[in-house]
Amino acid sequence: MKQSRWQQRTYRHPYLFALILLFVAFTVNLLLQPNLIEPTALNRNMRVFLPLILVAIGQAIVMIGGGIDISVGSIVSVVNALLATQIGLSGDPATAVLIMGVALLVGMGAGALNGLFIAYLRLQPIITTFATSFIYAGLALFILPNPGGGVPPQFTALYRETVVLWLPLAFYIIAALLLAWALVRRTRYGRYLYAVGGKADAAYETGVPVRAVQFSAYVISGLMAALGGIAMTLLTGSGNAQVGDPLTLSSITAAVIGGTPLSGGAGGIAGPIIGAVILGLIRNIISFANVATWWQTFVNAAIIVLALAMPGIINLIRRRNA
Amino acid sequence: MSLLLSARNVAKRYGAVQALVDASLEIGAGETLALIGANGSGKSTLSKVINGVVAPDGGQLLLDGRPVRFESPHAAKDAGISTVFQELSLVPQMTVAENIWLTREPHGRGGLIDLRQERRGTEALLDLFAGTVRPDLTPDTPVSALLPDEKQIVEILKAISVNPRLLILDEATASLDSRQVQRLFELIGQWKAQGTAIIFISHRMTEIEQIADRYSVLRNGQTVGAGAVKDATVDDLVALMAPETAGTVVARRRLSTDLLATRRTVLQVENLQTGVLRGVSLQVHEGELLGIGGLKGQGQRDLLLAIFGGVPYSGRMLLEGKPVRFTHPRQAMNQGVALVPGDRAGEGLLAIRAILENLLVPSWRMYGFPLRMGRACRDAGAIAARLEIKMPGLDAPVSVLSGGNAQKVVIGKWLLRNPRLLLLDDPTKGVDIGAKMEFYRLLTRLCDEGTTVILYSSDDEELVGLCDRVLVMHDGRISSELAGGSLTTANLVAASLGVVHRETS
Amino acid sequence: MKRLTISPPLAAVLLAIVLFLLSGFLPNGFGGNLDVAAAQAVNIVRLSVFLGIIAAGQTLVIISGNEGIDLSTGAVVTLTAILTYTIVNGRNEQVLPALLAVLIVGGMIGLINGAGVAFLNIAPLVMTLGMAGVVSGLILVITQGNVSGAVAPIMTQLIARPVFQGIPGAILIWIVFAALMWLLLERTTYGRHLFAIGTNRTTARLSGIRVTATVIGTYALSGMLAGLGGFLVVGNTGVVHIRIGDPFLFPSIAAVAVGGTLLTGGKGSYFGTMAGALVLTLITSLLTTMQMPESVRRMVLGVTLLVMISIYGRQRGFRQ
Repeated sequence: MKQSRWQQRTYRHPYLFALILLFVAFTVNLLLQPNLIEPTALNRNMRVFLPLILVAIGQAIVMIGGGIDISVGSIVSVVNALLATQIGLSGDPATAVLIMGVALLVGMGAGALNGLFIAYLRLQPIITTFATSFIYAGLALFILPNPGGGVPPQFTALYRETVVLWLPLAFYIIAALLLAWALVRRTRYGRYLYAVGGKADAAYETGVPVRAVQFSAYVISGLMAALGGIAMTLLTGSGNAQVGDPLTLSSITAAVIGGTPLSGGAGGIAGPIIGAVILGLIRNIISFANVATWWQTFVNAAIIVLALAMPGIINLIRRRNA
Repeated sequence: MSLLLSARNVAKRYGAVQALVDASLEIGAGETLALIGANGSGKSTLSKVINGVVAPDGGQLLLDGRPVRFESPHAAKDAGISTVFQELSLVPQMTVAENIWLTREPHGRGGLIDLRQERRGTEALLDLFAGTVRPDLTPDTPVSALLPDEKQIVEILKAISVNPRLLILDEATASLDSRQVQRLFELIGQWKAQGTAIIFISHRMTEIEQIADRYSVLRNGQTVGAGAVKDATVDDLVALMAPETAGTVVARRRLSTDLLATRRTVLQVENLQTGVLRGVSLQVHEGELLGIGGLKGQGQRDLLLAIFGGVPYSGRMLLEGKPVRFTHPRQAMNQGVALVPGDRAGEGLLAIRAILENLLVPSWRMYGFPLRMGRACRDAGAIAARLEIKMPGLDAPVSVLSGGNAQKVVIGKWLLRNPRLLLLDDPTKGVDIGAKMEFYRLLTRLCDEGTTVILYSSDDEELVGLCDRVLVMHDGRISSELAGGSLTTANLVAASLGVVHRETS
Repeated sequence: MKRLTISPPLAAVLLAIVLFLLSGFLPNGFGGNLDVAAAQAVNIVRLSVFLGIIAAGQTLVIISGNEGIDLSTGAVVTLTAILTYTIVNGRNEQVLPALLAVLIVGGMIGLINGAGVAFLNIAPLVMTLGMAGVVSGLILVITQGNVSGAVAPIMTQLIARPVFQGIPGAILIWIVFAALMWLLLERTTYGRHLFAIGTNRTTARLSGIRVTATVIGTYALSGMLAGLGGFLVVGNTGVVHIRIGDPFLFPSIAAVAVGGTLLTGGKGSYFGTMAGALVLTLITSLLTTMQMPESVRRMVLGVTLLVMISIYGRQRGFRQ
């Protein structure tokens, strides 16, 4: 049965369509920027893309579990504010590592708050994370009312220049995450996550601890957002309480373009990684194509909307022809 | 035979509705107990109390003579209780194997799932039903790609794979064909011999007679009788389920095909094709009660939806001689066609809205701008009175109504518009016997007054008792036509299974 | 959890009154002075008007169900405020054309949102969030960083100044607007259809309702009402800047939730949203009076919304 085999293939590998988009975006970028494949350019791109990649992975995991997290951008802002103020431009490595650890805990705590309200108090994910996004954004502003602070130059240098075997640090982080996820999928917990996102009632009746699984998904999302915040801070080297704002939509877009259905129960983390890279390449294309400054935001947003609309348009055409 | 489980005086309420008042049952190892009752009697609720899905408000559960409380379905499963749920507990996006082994995945080294062992286990389970299912049913098929009977079988395999001490089968045969049912019964025999206790919830008396040892009857949330199956007749059981309707039988004076042929043709369909229908042609005359029969899933629902404009189709359709093509239910509605859909709660009602609104949903345009609410309320009230809907008031949310009264609201919203062609998709499914009788009287009256009715029913006796003619569907086509003397239950069953019969007048 | 028997809009109004009375005891509060209290009350209501009208579109979209939400509202308000400012340019006779223009622009943006949601099956959250970005980009394209223009005297007169018995024109506009919203939701076929599709789309369709058209119309209406909001906002403040619409987005959703409209759709009223707008404006105003920084304001608003949905927005648990 043809439908069954296509469904099987897309169930196992939902990012096939995204790979095509990736190929197209990469090719266009390469045409506009011929040195794209040189190590320095690749390195630069990877570390610029990394914060979004990390946040998008967390978002995708929440989506697989059937939810959504609109507070991720604000969590990134909180972490950035925390690092910029607590480490400061003259911080020492020991403090820095300690503060980063605290930041990860803060991210997980923020996720836990989300998870508490959504999984245990049974509130709707969209409006709950919308509310907490405001709380966390306020917290970020509270910690860092005006842009300033930062991290010592040696840290940004570390982030910028670490290259092992000709490949940047970012590459290894992504590889590690892909490996970790492949293992998670082979565990009972992984099955639980997909079951809860697919049909929570059925999972409950089967004895899956649904609330704990949903809670954990948000904690993971908070953790990934915190990691993204650390990466962002190491990238920019400075503090800005609004740095995380654009990441919310971008993380959702990256996950959706990468083939993660908002309804839950399907997807992986290859998808959001590809989606985040595509979004980054699009930004590159816009700047290298000499689009007028005032037009850049519009063009970027329009392309994103088109990318989001693509699966729907394809479905529409397929239905018309059926 | 030791007493395995005993439920005593269980009570449960959902908001305003008292689902269980005083329900009890007892079952021993190796015994098959039939739990029967009309819809809304509390059968499913009682089973959900036993398997931990729902927390009871009162009463006691005793397992092996000791009191237990199941805080979650997981706890009940640990105690050896497994369930085949009426609305299947399968995750559509996951595969057959993943669904069956959910929470009990076999582990290999390092805590990872052993995929090969999982596959082998699944294949062994699927073998139990070998020969009765398509070969496409493999462990890697996503459940969403399966047909209803296959999904039901996966649900059954999932429940039995834990080797339970107590297996609850809640309407487990609803989607199965006769071969699969027989295989299931063979397996039940084996499981019984191994000591598994089975609670069998079903509406089908013939099946109960075949495999149940004892029975327990629920009525309005109360246990009203129990005993050995061999000591009771079907009439006894029906009397226990709904005493006020015992002895009544569906009957309507059948109109002959000659008489019908003299009337004008209300609907004519030629070579109707949809994704499921493969060329259906029929005609219906004014005032006729045409039945659609056959096994489930042969296209009956699609036929009704296509006529109503709810699904795209190719082919010709003539309404009272005029060619029509409905692309949206609104168009059908405006031409006097009405559809009472199969899934009452999911497709026919707006649960959280008032009864008033539910009765007026299709008709608001008739009340002008701004809406004349006074007139609307009067019209709704008139229909509710005519149908004798038992309700607290027009403003009450429709969710407080019982199944039979809720069905009346769905029909009422269409009767308000005086349709000339009324389509019904298995309307008495899940309706108790008293309400069914009222419903039959209503249909008879409508036909007498000139409304044309096309009725699909999964209940053969209902079709035989009510309809002038029955078209049996098989595999997207009409395979047989029964009318007059040839319209009998035996012929209908035979036709459903593929024996072709053409009415000759 | 005890089931609350007070209707949510009423609870919100009571909350607003309590908050207002509490504000009287603050340093700048009215103390026991009734005249000052009345003046402050009128001022609060006047401030709430703009949020109230902007949140009207959000109300419709949320009632329409299927996780309906409009995150483009803030951007549309900014765009239409700027357009009004530019088109009017200080001349009275340009006011009506400007109003017409912003209604059309807002409606078209809403139409695109609706088309994406209804035809392409894009989740409302994602679609409207994406369009917010597009509109923000559009604002940059149009203004190129500079906004020039002015409001017309008649706008200031009708919106910001007292018009009748010392009551500012804005409040009168809101009263008329509320009556029209009630009419729309309770006494038109569209309103009845809106509640139906928000409750159960399949039932609605099988009862003859054109679901797609209703959904698209609702998002278009939401855009138009945001446009109207932008027009009124600039008429009130007399100036615009590129971020003028931002402070309205979050409160517009919060107002709807506080007012008791089910976030799952199918149930709600504009009166609830009005009460919600009052509550939120009171909270913001209180925080400003107490000289709380923006950060505290955001946190308090977030917590308020969270508390409100904890009371009204809880869904069915798994174990019943």
